Amino acid sequence: MKFSLDFIKEFIDLDDSSQSIASRLTMAGMEIGDFEQAGGDWIFDAEITTNRYDWLSMIGIAKELAALLGKKAEIKIPRLIKEPALKEIDIIIENKNDCPVYLVRLIKGVKVEESPSWLKQRLVNCGLNAVNNLVDSTNYCMLKWGNPLHAFDFDKIEGNIYVRRAKKGEKFLGLDDKERSLNKNNLVIADEKKVIALAGIMGAKNAEVDENTKNVLLEAAVFSPLAIRCSRRDAVLETESSYRFERKVFFDYLELASAEAADKIISLSKGKFCGYKSKGESVCRERIKISFSLSKLNDYLGIIIPESEVKTILENLEFTITKASQEGIEVEPPSFRMDIQREVDVYEEVVRVYGYEKIPLVLPFIAVEASRGIYEFKKSLRNFLVGLGLKEVITYSITGEKFLEKLNEENVIKIVNPLRQQENALRSTLLPGAIDVVRYNLNQKSGCLRLFEIADIYKKGKDSQGESFREIFSLSLIITDKENRIFYLKGIVEEILKFANVENYAFKEKGQINFTNALEILNNDTVLGFLGRLDKDKKEGFDLKEDLYFTQINLEALCRQKKDKIFVPFSRFPFISRDISMAIEKKKKFLDIEATIKKEAQPYFKKIEILDTYEGKNVPAGFYFLTLRIYYQAGNKTLTSQEVDAVHNKIRDILTKIEGITLR
Amino acid sequence: MEEQLKKIENEAQQEIAQAESRERLEQLKVKYLGRKSMVTRLFTKIPVLEREEKAKIGKALNLLKQRINFFLEERAKNFEKKEERIDLTFPPEKINRGIKHILACVDENICEIFKNLGFMIVEGREIEDEWHNFTALNIPLEHPSRDVFDTFYLDLPVSDYGGENKGGGKYLLRSHTSPSQIRVMEKRKPPLAVISPGRVYRPDKVDASHSFMFYQIEGFCVDKNINFSHLKGVLFSFAKSFFSEDVKLRFRPHFFPFTEPSAEVDISCMICKGRGCSVCSQSGWVEVLGCGMIHPEVLEACGIDFDRYQGFAFGMGVDRMAMLKYRINDIRLFYENDLRFLEQFYEV
Ligand SMILES: [Zn+2]
Repeated sequence: MKFSLDFIKEFIDLDDSSQSIASRLTMAGMEIGDFEQAGGDWIFDAEITTNRYDWLSMIGIAKELAALLGKKAEIKIPRLIKEPALKEIDIIIENKNDCPVYLVRLIKGVKVEESPSWLKQRLVNCGLNAVNNLVDSTNYCMLKWGNPLHAFDFDKIEGNIYVRRAKKGEKFLGLDDKERSLNKNNLVIADEKKVIALAGIMGAKNAEVDENTKNVLLEAAVFSPLAIRCSRRDAVLETESSYRFERKVFFDYLELASAEAADKIISLSKGKFCGYKSKGESVCRERIKISFSLSKLNDYLGIIIPESEVKTILENLEFTITKASQEGIEVEPPSFRMDIQREVDVYEEVVRVYGYEKIPLVLPFIAVEASRGIYEFKKSLRNFLVGLGLKEVITYSITGEKFLEKLNEENVIKIVNPLRQQENALRSTLLPGAIDVVRYNLNQKSGCLRLFEIADIYKKGKDSQGESFREIFSLSLIITDKENRIFYLKGIVEEILKFANVENYAFKEKGQINFTNALEILNNDTVLGFLGRLDKDKKEGFDLKEDLYFTQINLEALCRQKKDKIFVPFSRFPFISRDISMAIEKKKKFLDIEATIKKEAQPYFKKIEILDTYEGKNVPAGFYFLTLRIYYQAGNKTLTSQEVDAVHNKIRDILTKIEGITLR
Repeated sequence: MEEQLKKIENEAQQEIAQAESRERLEQLKVKYLGRKSMVTRLFTKIPVLEREEKAKIGKALNLLKQRINFFLEERAKNFEKKEERIDLTFPPEKINRGIKHILACVDENICEIFKNLGFMIVEGREIEDEWHNFTALNIPLEHPSRDVFDTFYLDLPVSDYGGENKGGGKYLLRSHTSPSQIRVMEKRKPPLAVISPGRVYRPDKVDASHSFMFYQIEGFCVDKNINFSHLKGVLFSFAKSFFSEDVKLRFRPHFFPFTEPSAEVDISCMICKGRGCSVCSQSGWVEVLGCGMIHPEVLEACGIDFDRYQGFAFGMGVDRMAMLKYRINDIRLFYENDLRFLEQFYEV
């Protein structure tokens, strides 16, 4: 909110520099972002926190400055003239909750002119436009008291005034020349025939004060903050007026603001006061008393503020000290401080004036239970993956329902109020982020990507705690290449399984929607995730320039199955290797051959290495050539060639007998 | 005999001097010192010589052998230099290194600092209900501060948390990580010191400084004697560790519904060292986080007795911290994952 120093000076004598005013206010909680000179005046731009609606007026700021500088603000109270009563029209308030009080003053015989320059200056320096002497008078009083006012052309009002909710589809052409279609979220001021204002937000064109206006009806009211907030959001229209109503306005100043605006209009436009009417009543909050002890205040802040200082600060802030004894201090907050509710609010008042900077810096001794949680697991996994040469990405959890549909995802959680349609659902898989980041980087001419992401996925469906959704923290591996990288991906996954030290992991060939050559990752019977290559049609559909090899692992499950690592002794005796070549029918699985060899080679089995695979010339149709090197080792002695040959020949014999394998 | 040796030496010296390759030198080595060479043959004759001759010739032969070896080695040095000359101004091989995302890195670093101060890390979940995201935090429905915490709501049935009286309300994507802290306070008794990192969501249009998803870290500490001076001490200690030893902090009164008193914390601008520049809008200060003493209503909503316990809380945006520390000028860079961005960082 902008305010003018000259305006403030109408209420308080100030000789401080604008720099010192700005810093004093900032350090008391009214952050001055900027201040600049404008002619002889200074314009301040203040950030007013939502609790301080009393600062949304020049009087409020003057009072604050007075309290901070130990001065007194002089506020002249205008004459309150309520006679004669207005007879021409009535006011009907549909719901007191929307509008507890609504009052009008009628001024006849006005002459609409440009405002005098001092008035225009005030408005312009506070960020408002000058319009004419009538509108400017209402705005001046709004700025001064904080209560928004509105002037209608009385002759354009047909019949009585209604404060009511808009009917669905009711039209409203605002002073901003935009037409809006209203609904029951909009509180309006209407006459017998039409909407003449979007209550508390903006007047309608159809009752606007113009150069021909002779008689003016001056509105002052209090509207429900929530009603204004809903209406303003619905109409997508925020004004100086709605800004104030939303944050609450004072009943106390309502009559004063109205009376002064009427005075101003009369003196500037030569009009005559012709009537007053008020409906509803001001709901003044019961004045509350708050007691607190000085020692508790000091304990709470970690500082010692002398009692006299506490009292002075509170008195300067217009608190009334009703009791002060050994037991404590009892205060009554000023009527304009509806935000002060309990002792901690009083502590804040004291310390913000006393100065936050005077509180010392102390490190507490904190001793809480040590824990190794999921965060630590993620962190070590992240370090591990980085060690494998992978790069971490962070992609949006929110994606489009359409995108997920293309990936055949089900049980997707949708956002009721999305910003855009392409961001209207929570991802049920990490694949959308992977596809986006891959497409982006491949288009930027980076290739052969080696990426990972650790993030949550979300799905509808009961979880173990009976919630109606599941949020599963997961890992994705994102590998792209022009060559087949499925075994690289399988290798990385195996390293992760070894990292987690799960006991009985296995890869199982199992179809996976969207993927070709997919493997399921298992530990005992628990599915930990899958890996595979994105289908060609999907790859083309998503316009990816390289194949995408993708893994998704349920880290929650992995973390649960994680075992502590225990050292396993190893043999220091030399190993001996023997090669074996064979032709294998393609439908046979390597895993089975490996298992056979492993079993037969016990207790001397160390490992198998694939030396070569070959297909093509000289290979019978439906077969391929495979050369393996088998390593033999004993745990307790050096093996002799004879021992190894015995085992190796046995393996050869057994393999020969298997259908679909021919040794070479 | 001596003459013969001298002749061999001269021949060898000449031929070796004329050799133009390492291969040629190998040939000459075989010729002059190999098994069939004259020198070797002469050695074999030694045993049949007279005793005196034996010693003399043996010595001369050894000397000759040494000299030929010397010629060979000297000549070989020429070829060594030629062959091993490499242009070392060529660029190094490209090393493929793994990289943590800079946001994850900053997130871990911040958590680590607080962990060292005694805080426990609790993550919580991202789908929350209205009770934990708003109500327990003293954010009433009609209050305009709810605007600030504008929220994405989800198409899930209403939460039945806390039964009929409390009512969890609608499910939503958390707009801050405070709900995780509420859940800790509901479950555990003080003393508590918890730090909650994680993703949060607010329906903000994406631009250079806004994102509908970002990372936040919030912390709180509740015990019998925790006060505002501890809040200042902890945050100052954090800022020194995260930014730099000579950082200055400024606590400004502010308003948050869940703390009272509340403050916004500014750090002295690292770019201009407080003199004023465009980054700090000439003020010398840059806002980094919000904090305060936990509002009694919040403690009471979690079943903690305000007469016995009090505490502080604070919250910061990880994205903002990363942007300030590394002078990153656009929040979108974090989520675009351009390798040219990710690869710039060597932080761990
Ligand atoms: Zn600066």
